[in-house]
Amino acid sequence: MGSRNQILEKIKSNKPELLDLPNIDISLFEENLDLIKEFTKKVEVVGGNIVTANSNEDIIHQIEKIFPDSKVKFSNLENTQSFNTINLATLHKPHDLENLDLLVLESKLAVAENGSIWVSDNEIPVRVLPFIVQHLVLVLSAKDIVPYMHQAYDKLSNLDSDFGVFIAGPSKTADIEQSLVIGAHGALSLTIFLKE
Amino acid sequence: MSHSKLASIFNKDEKRVDWHDKALWFVRHKRDKSVHNVKGWEELRNLGHGIKAHMLSNLDNYLIQFEENAKKNGVEVHWAANDEEHNKLIVDILKENNAKKIVKSKSMLTEECHLNPFLEANDIEVIDTDLGERIVQLAKERPSHIVLPAIHKNRHEVDELFQEHLGTKPCDGDPQYLTGEARKHLREKFISADAAITGVNFAIAETGGFVVCTNEGNADMGAHLAPVHIACMGVEKIIPKQEHLGVFLRLLARSATGQPITTYSSHFKKPRKGTKMHIIIVDNGRSEQLSRPDFRASLHCIRCGACMNTCPIYRRSGGHSYDATIPGPIGSILSPGKDLKKYSTLPFASTLCGSCSDVCPVKIDIHSQLYKWRQIITKETPQPFIKKQSMKAMGKIFANPSQFEIVGKIARWSLRNLPKAVINSKPNAWGKARDLPLGPKQSFDEWFKERENEKKS
Ligand code: SF4
Repeated sequence: MGSRNQILEKIKSNKPELLDLPNIDISLFEENLDLIKEFTKKVEVVGGNIVTANSNEDIIHQIEKIFPDSKVKFSNLENTQSFNTINLATLHKPHDLENLDLLVLESKLAVAENGSIWVSDNEIPVRVLPFIVQHLVLVLSAKDIVPYMHQAYDKLSNLDSDFGVFIAGPSKTADIEQSLVIGAHGALSLTIFLKE
Repeated sequence: MSHSKLASIFNKDEKRVDWHDKALWFVRHKRDKSVHNVKGWEELRNLGHGIKAHMLSNLDNYLIQFEENAKKNGVEVHWAANDEEHNKLIVDILKENNAKKIVKSKSMLTEECHLNPFLEANDIEVIDTDLGERIVQLAKERPSHIVLPAIHKNRHEVDELFQEHLGTKPCDGDPQYLTGEARKHLREKFISADAAITGVNFAIAETGGFVVCTNEGNADMGAHLAPVHIACMGVEKIIPKQEHLGVFLRLLARSATGQPITTYSSHFKKPRKGTKMHIIIVDNGRSEQLSRPDFRASLHCIRCGACMNTCPIYRRSGGHSYDATIPGPIGSILSPGKDLKKYSTLPFASTLCGSCSDVCPVKIDIHSQLYKWRQIITKETPQPFIKKQSMKAMGKIFANPSQFEIVGKIARWSLRNLPKAVINSKPNAWGKARDLPLGPKQSFDEWFKERENEKKS
């Protein structure tokens, strides 16, 4: 318990009089974005690649061309079992994923204003997957793009998850003299397949 | 040491100061480009301000709500009144779990509490995993900026540090190579860690969940591999509802680096199966700051660093000159609240230009708070004799217009006619490292009167 009550008491006596909680009026931000165009632009800004596709077979086919050398692979797309080289059901601990080359995940939500894509426990059976993998591929339907973060949280209010993450591009850092380097601790690259 | 003394150490290397100044101004510029593309940016800032102000006015209740929900999610919640209690709580949790190797992602709070030396004294290895923080950790320094911890170091220094500690090859400071080597080095640490410590960017009362933002993915690599995750947060990190994240995540990265959002915005709610999650809620002076009406808005801060990037003093004096965990303009209003005497020079490390308040995403009136601290400090702490006397003399001169005119005349004449050696002599702090302008022939008053007369004729 520690100092719980003492802290709460102090805050209670030191806080100002109750102020109103402002309402978020989304119409203030509306500018009729062309969602696909804006999303594509922002994905490039955050360092991702974007490719169009029309079916899961098409996606797997293209992936094999883009990443010909990957050995350890996993996908959660429907009907792509033959693509997988590992079985998550027999995985002992997440650390064993260290050599994962390629991960393909389907997502149901993306945000045009910043190029980010929502991935949650519902899509990732092991949380560390999209971070520990070398090359991440996310698959998305154009209809699942929303304009701003406000609409994204609106959608998320009905999708409960124990863990979820907005991913925008590959991991990166500019901590050495402000030079941007792609590939810090998370994925080295992010490819997005957009199904129209 | 005073801010100006510490700044003069940084100022010895003029080239570095120039680079530092330009690099941060460039980040400020990226911020501008990014926010100008957002329709309703000012409304967004107003919302950020309003939500935080409301939160503070109901903070105790939100904390209770947060605790209740977090517990329902299977998370253990602890409370720490100060740094000491925070550190002790963490060591207790680690010992309970037999954890000897810790990976830590960026958390200014654990810096503030001096957690690392405490862990090391308890025989626990702690590795900072944010690249910039790892660099300063290897150099045995503290971060000089809250978002860009190693901005004061150049690539050659990083090269040498890595050669010495990580056994890298000399590479003429190639950032790509050095980052790749750090990735390898830290992957090993992630894989073998017994526990992960992270900060918290936002904690949601409504859900009991919390959000951590990084670009490198280090918080996630730590938290999803280690069997124990400890998240440390100041009491002011609370936001009432999940929908408020929509406001703050739009504001944060754009203000920090100009990115539309950080690479990873991770939403933690429940521990993963078979592992433990702890949250430590820390006061450490925050409730005290809450009691000061003039300064309580400083608790709105979302730690974006924009006020540092834009500050003409910070850019030229470096983060270490503030001798505090949070440097720059916001640090200069937080630190005196903790120790007025030790930090009495910080509110004076400002031109009061107001640029910090202009860029702050949650609209903290930073420069007016700096001004208010000055009023308090001049009353409550001893001021240098010369400053006191000269302020008194100035007060008298300004109070009497005819006297002011005479003194003005003498000053203008002196600036035009006295030799430089006299003008820039020691007592004149304004003559240090710069030449004063030539004194004009007329005062403004004289110029204005003459112009009016000419108009009439
Ligand atoms: S005071 Fe404002 S500008 Fe400065 S770090 Fe905090 S939120 Fe950012």
